[in-house]
Amino acid sequence: MTAMLEVRDLHGGYGSVDVLRGVSLEVAPGSVVALMGANGAGKTTTMRLLSGLLRPSRGTILLDGVPIHGLDGSAVARLGLAHAPEGRRVFGPLSTEDNLLLGAYTWLPHVLGYRKAAAADLEAAYDRFPRLKDRRHQQAGTLSGGEQQMLAIARALMARPKLLLLDEPSMGLAPVVIQEVYRAILRLKAEGTTLLLVEQFARTALRVADYAYVMDRGAIAVAGTPAELGRDMRVVEAYLG
Amino acid sequence: MDPQIIGQMLVSGALMGLLYALIAYGFQLTYATSRSLNFGQGELVMVSAFVALTFTNLGLPYGLMLPAALAFGALAGLGVERAAVRLALRQKSEGWIMLTIIVGLFLASAAENIWGRDDRPFPTPIPSDPVHLFGIDITPLELSVALGALGVMGLIELCKRRTLLGKAVAAVAADPDAAELVGISATRAVMLSYALSGMVAALAGVLVSPITTVGPTMGAVLVLKAFSVAVVAGLDSGFGVVLVGMFLGALESIASFYLGSGWREAPGLVLLILALAVRPHGVFGRAAIRKV
Amino acid sequence: MRRFLLLRSAELLAVLLLAAVPLAVRNPYALGLLTLLAIYGVLLIGLDVSVGYLGQINLGQVAFLGIGAYTAGLLVAKLGWGLLPSAMAASGAALAVGALLALPALRLEGPQFALATLSFSALTGTALNELEALTGGAQGLSLTRPPLLGHVLESRGFYWLCLGALALVWVTMRNLLNSHWGRAFEALRDSPLATDAMGVGTYRHKVAAFAMGSGLGGFAGALYAFNFQYLQPQIFNYELMAMLLLGVVLGGRKSQWGALLGACVVVLLPNLLSSRRLFLTLSALGLAAALAAGIRGLRRGTGAFQSAAPIAATGLLAVGGLLVKHTEDWRKAIFALMLFAVMVGLPEGLMGFCSRFLAGLFRVPPAALPRPAALDAALPARPPAQGALLVVSDLMRTFGGVKAVDGISFQVEHGSIHGLIGPNGSGKSTLVNVVSGLYPASSGRILLAGARVRPGLVPMARAGVARTFQNLQLFGELSALDNVMVALRDVFRLPLPLVVTGLGRGEERRAQADALALLAFVGLEDQARVPARDLPYGAQRFLELARALARRPALLLLDEPAAGLAHPDVLRLIGIIRAVRQRGITTLLIEHHMDVVGELCDRVTVMDGGRMLAEGAPEAVKRNPLVLEAYLGAPEVVS
Repeated sequence: MTAMLEVRDLHGGYGSVDVLRGVSLEVAPGSVVALMGANGAGKTTTMRLLSGLLRPSRGTILLDGVPIHGLDGSAVARLGLAHAPEGRRVFGPLSTEDNLLLGAYTWLPHVLGYRKAAAADLEAAYDRFPRLKDRRHQQAGTLSGGEQQMLAIARALMARPKLLLLDEPSMGLAPVVIQEVYRAILRLKAEGTTLLLVEQFARTALRVADYAYVMDRGAIAVAGTPAELGRDMRVVEAYLG
Repeated sequence: MDPQIIGQMLVSGALMGLLYALIAYGFQLTYATSRSLNFGQGELVMVSAFVALTFTNLGLPYGLMLPAALAFGALAGLGVERAAVRLALRQKSEGWIMLTIIVGLFLASAAENIWGRDDRPFPTPIPSDPVHLFGIDITPLELSVALGALGVMGLIELCKRRTLLGKAVAAVAADPDAAELVGISATRAVMLSYALSGMVAALAGVLVSPITTVGPTMGAVLVLKAFSVAVVAGLDSGFGVVLVGMFLGALESIASFYLGSGWREAPGLVLLILALAVRPHGVFGRAAIRKV
Repeated sequence: MRRFLLLRSAELLAVLLLAAVPLAVRNPYALGLLTLLAIYGVLLIGLDVSVGYLGQINLGQVAFLGIGAYTAGLLVAKLGWGLLPSAMAASGAALAVGALLALPALRLEGPQFALATLSFSALTGTALNELEALTGGAQGLSLTRPPLLGHVLESRGFYWLCLGALALVWVTMRNLLNSHWGRAFEALRDSPLATDAMGVGTYRHKVAAFAMGSGLGGFAGALYAFNFQYLQPQIFNYELMAMLLLGVVLGGRKSQWGALLGACVVVLLPNLLSSRRLFLTLSALGLAAALAAGIRGLRRGTGAFQSAAPIAATGLLAVGGLLVKHTEDWRKAIFALMLFAVMVGLPEGLMGFCSRFLAGLFRVPPAALPRPAALDAALPARPPAQGALLVVSDLMRTFGGVKAVDGISFQVEHGSIHGLIGPNGSGKSTLVNVVSGLYPASSGRILLAGARVRPGLVPMARAGVARTFQNLQLFGELSALDNVMVALRDVFRLPLPLVVTGLGRGEERRAQADALALLAFVGLEDQARVPARDLPYGAQRFLELARALARRPALLLLDEPAAGLAHPDVLRLIGIIRAVRQRGITTLLIEHHMDVVGELCDRVTVMDGGRMLAEGAPEAVKRNPLVLEAYLGAPEVVS
């Protein structure tokens, strides 16, 4: 079975500085893969390179066999990669429902008739995240942190993506809310969604992942299944010296 | 002072002020998506008016001339975006300020040579007999300015809210990176906003020409006032431009009456400098927080 | 020494040549052009201050030309003033108006600033036109050139006067821009944030720069009035402003030779346009140059548009020159196309291009730097003290509804290295931003050495706080040495009038010695002359540290100084921070690299969700279960 995502020797960064120095990883279809590491290790840079917000200086990225390195963000989205970015980044002035509708921009009609076409997917989103249904007409910027995170995930799912990138879903959230978010992630996993998850909380990530990579200073330090990593002290060291 | 006369001046002024509001609205459209605007917008208004005049002289009836002129305006707006704005945005610089000034300068020169330096009358099918409303005389032309401006602004606002494309452009204005991630091309959104801005400028040109005649300097005069309105109302606000535009128009009428027609320009300019001094983000706009 | 002599002799030669011209050439028209060249030279040097050094689009310079011209003209014609007094009054008037405009206008970002200056120009034009009783309005104002100290000035004499004025302005501005003033102007263009954080008031310097530029514009205006002896408001119009911008951009920003070159272009343009043959030759040359540059650019990977646009513009010039009847009529379009080609294809202007070319040919070594001062002179050791230097009490900072810092209290002891750690989004950077003065606190108190400080970057810097930034805020275009020199405190004591006469050189050398000492402290003394943006990333981080130390701070705030550093550089950083502590400087260190924190910190405060989670010695904190949970997540998360 070919990997849904195949990354080989990825280099890239901001300006002339390459933060990433040769990252290679794979995500099998239907699996949840975690990308972990301390701040500054390069996790978010990796995500931005994958979704097209940054151009790699070297290396290749294949999405379901199709090369996507060097493409614009919107082009990568059209090819089936959805990215719920770090910091949630919902469209604050727009309503919850509008945010969800825009998530499906790549396949909805752009002028009229889009509500009807999106009706089924919207219902599915509200089933997965009932709290969003209560707030469907509320301005997204006024939602709580946890609700915004769920909206960001739901918005990314509206694209019916082949691969979903989730960047730091727990950042800035209270522990109770983090639990709720991760329950939703587990449900997605049960439905067979292919997921690449960036998470700085190693224990949390290892609970849901099928496979995990630990980054340190722009490269992969350790990789393995949660069972293997649980036994490997290097994981802990990468965080606390 | 006869309140009738003052009332007359205020109403006429306010209706003309809607013209400034219209051009200012065009600035808001491009500023929202790209934090840039066309410093040569006045020349765009002027050239579109001349092109409309040419269409009319070629025999096109008003009903066909108007959409043709609007189409020209949209194309011109796209041209400005491609030639003067896109490069600067890619480089994250403010070079578009100089480059749009340059494009405007070029258009001014071209217009002078193609159509000459004289002011020319603009024929219009709209009757010129004033209508009497609440004791004040309003000409159908002034009404056409008001209706045209409010109508188009209303229509664009409607499309912004009702169509998915409109929401997509609002998304780009709110967060261009996040918009890219859902498949909205920020570049296309900027192009669209410039096309609409150009179209709005062309409409302004067509609406005002029958009143003030078409001439090479008509745009420069209008656009400084539109700048005042846009800055005072806030470059990122909504309908504040309508109120501020009407206010400025009325103020100008008064200044012109009491101080002499040469001083007509002054209120707008003074207002702009004051507004920039006191509240750079406009009366209705929002201030941004610095992120380090 | 060689470089200094070479440049000065070039300038001296140029002045002598220009002064000698009227003795050899009898053509009054040529003399008139040269006089105008001198006047525009002064005007463009003034414009270059805001366009080149501050990096702003200043659309108001033509208004200051007009204000100066009319002030001088009116004083001479209506009140019978002499030449020198009215010229001084004209500069003064323009400077005053410039300062008044600058106070509101310079709070604004680029586009709004351009708008404000544009409105100001239009307003000035209207005023000149409408105040007929005073200015004669559209009819114009006539005046006779007043005598200079009793001598009536004919065209030759007046030319020498203008040349003298240009030389005077040249020398004073050169001295000014080579001093710490010029450095401050460039610094605030590259990073207003860092400029403020280093205690150099950005706003104050911007206003001063703009006012100076306007004053020079007014001075040029007086000369203009005496030259033509007839003024009309229409002269000072948008078209002239466009020509002035063309002059500065084409000649080369941030360069006096560029301003002079630009003045040549502006003065010669009308002549250029009246001769079709000359025009075609020059546009053909321009087209050839654009093609060469464009093809080279495409090979190097420059964008398609950037390479093709100048070719299209110069091509249009050439083709247009062939087709149109009178090139005169298309003046504005020709300026526009020239400006467009230069802005896109040659942003550094002719002078920038020439100096690179000439530097390649002549290889003049730069002036030798002085020997580095002793470290004790540049960074004197602070006397040891007891107790807390920094006391933070119940500090809160909210953004919108979000509590980024939610009631935190801690103390930093004198002479210690205090670590601040916590997961992403815990509020560490916000806390440092509040302590350094970037944001005021929403509530709570900060005491520095027992005293409250006014909120704001500059007051905090003056009170003895220096910082580095998580995202580097270097002055990219300035050299490493200059970056450090901007931040030096209490070194530049000479008042402005003396700086302008060139007496600041001694101070300058001492400052260089101090800055070199600091660069040596972080290991960058060999890269003193390298522009900051060309330094490798690790060196840039160290440079920011050296710059902060130039403040001789009591409290040093380091925001993730080891971010992205390779391991050898991390070790070097640890050594430097230890040496900083030996000098008695207190350090508050935000870091994620746990080895750095463990090596250096006496005490560590852990933040989470805007609050303090734990505090203590690094070893104890590392083993604290709450801290582990904050970093790794709770043991049982998902049910």
